[in-house]
Amino acid sequence: MSLSPKNPHVLFLAILFLAIILPWIPLGPSTNYLLRVLTTAVLYMMLALGLNIVPGFTGLLDLGYVGFYGIGAYTSGLLAIHYDLSLWVILPLAAANGALWGVLLGAPTLRLTGDYFAIVTFGFSELVVLLIRNELWLTRGPMGLPGIPPPSIFGYPLTQGWQYFYLALFLLLVVLVVVVRLENSRIGRAWFAIREDEIAAQCCGISLIRYKVMAFAASAAIGAMAGAFYAKWFRFIHPDMFKFWESILILCLIVFGGMGSIAGTMLGALILIPLTEVLRTALPQSMFNARYLIYGLLLVIMMRLRPEGLIPFQLSRSRKAEQAKARLLGSEE
Amino acid sequence: MESLLDQSSLFLQQLVNGITLGGVYALIAVGYTMVYGVIQLINFAHGEIYMLGAFLAYTLVAVVGMPFFPAFILTLMICAVLGVVLDFVAYRPLRKAPRLAALITAIGMSIFLQNMAMLIWGSQIKSYPRDILPAFFSESALTFGDVTLSWLQLFILFITLLFMIILHLTIHKTRIGMAMRAISQDKTASALMGIGVNRVISFTFAIGSAMGGMAGILVGLYYNAIFPTMGYVAGIKAFAAAVLGGIGSVPGAMLGGGVLGIAEVMGAGYISSEYRDGISYAVMIAVILFKPSGLIGKQVGEKV
Repeated sequence: MSLSPKNPHVLFLAILFLAIILPWIPLGPSTNYLLRVLTTAVLYMMLALGLNIVPGFTGLLDLGYVGFYGIGAYTSGLLAIHYDLSLWVILPLAAANGALWGVLLGAPTLRLTGDYFAIVTFGFSELVVLLIRNELWLTRGPMGLPGIPPPSIFGYPLTQGWQYFYLALFLLLVVLVVVVRLENSRIGRAWFAIREDEIAAQCCGISLIRYKVMAFAASAAIGAMAGAFYAKWFRFIHPDMFKFWESILILCLIVFGGMGSIAGTMLGALILIPLTEVLRTALPQSMFNARYLIYGLLLVIMMRLRPEGLIPFQLSRSRKAEQAKARLLGSEE
Repeated sequence: MESLLDQSSLFLQQLVNGITLGGVYALIAVGYTMVYGVIQLINFAHGEIYMLGAFLAYTLVAVVGMPFFPAFILTLMICAVLGVVLDFVAYRPLRKAPRLAALITAIGMSIFLQNMAMLIWGSQIKSYPRDILPAFFSESALTFGDVTLSWLQLFILFITLLFMIILHLTIHKTRIGMAMRAISQDKTASALMGIGVNRVISFTFAIGSAMGGMAGILVGLYYNAIFPTMGYVAGIKAFAAAVLGGIGSVPGAMLGGGVLGIAEVMGAGYISSEYRDGISYAVMIAVILFKPSGLIGKQVGEKV
């Protein structure tokens, strides 16, 4: 059973159209709240698309994704405060910084088996938080980084909620194009091959370490860019925002929606993030702090009952990969 | 000369504290190492069993009003059962699933149990009643100059050593230990030889979880602080200790725990107390990168 309709493009354009007209639907005073929730959802869609590359496409558990999110956010915040750079300079710089750390962490650790890799990435993200917390000269540590100037586009600073919503939507589209193009490329097929069977992939001439590092760097770059947007949008960042829990939440989004499936990861974020906001208002504070109880349970239940998620990774992609494999084998004969 | 003496006794005191902490890490690490040895799964929820051990003992003593030693034994038993149930509910259905699924389940269970504890006991730090142990436990047992070893530290070290020896003998001298070693080599072949694989795995979880719960109680006594998130950091550090010593090996867990405990206490004392946890993570990453087989583990090739 697949939730995806016959023609995904029509559905996609319809949703995009709905999102674009959304700020102009008169909903009274709740519009701003709704926009904030949806901007958060779009932010997490970006994050989920980025994380998805590693566990979803390449089959490796990455527990340190939030480290790159934090690196991106602090890169963006510090560049904006100290050098007053434009958003269009900051975003690529933050993404490049994320990718750099992705390569530095990935190149030595991706030789390891999956479990060790998971634990090393976890250690990495904890170290990032410790550094942010303790290097006061750079990050102001537990005092957080307030007063990040708002982004401006063509000289106009963004002030309204809908402007940030559009900005987030634009960035999501950019990320989406990149991820879809990667998925359908030679690189994407190599990733799927690694996910399905590392040894078989290696026998087909795929350099495991090279493609794994590529996946990790791409994922880190997207995470860092999302962080950069977050810093410019929220205009205050704090080390506690980048704790391990965030990684779990993002992992939960892709597991729920469908690991490896682009539509699935986005749907996961679109359902779970607004749900979290509903819980925030519906539950008393102490209960809300225990919301990860639900996320943890969700991970367990999904793995047990529907490991492929709401929208499973589509078979047509695998067929393409098989054709590619067949071509590859043919050319070697 | 005077200050030099102070320096060296401070160093020795840190060493003693580090070894005590290392003993606790070793007790937790045994759970990781045994489970990993048998089913090649990092049981992320193991740190939560350790936390639950501390809380269960707290509840039995402070709320129910049991004396300490019966509560201690009962907690170990409950933890053993919890470990078996955890395996039965979460991991057993996924034995044949891809490893990623089992890892994600382990993470999910860990998060679930931690937040469950937060709902039940609240997120404030709790401590055991002062009169939980006979008064002499907090007195110093041995004194060399300025270096003191309290009865509690001695108790922790004694228990750690005792159970390590028992475990080592169990694994190497008994039938069930032989079955565990057989399963860690080849599950299918072991089943064909008439070993009840699931029964042995349950046994492994029971032992590991009881050790974890015991470590939780001991740490609760030692630091006099228990809180729902204590399992998460301690679990990772104990995992680091298991890796450091060589995963799958009980003496390795002991050695790894000791080294990590000393490194952490020394690092906090002489380098930077802010990076106390960071030192453990850094040691762990370095070991995984440069010597993934650990200090006394053996190199195992990837099975095809």
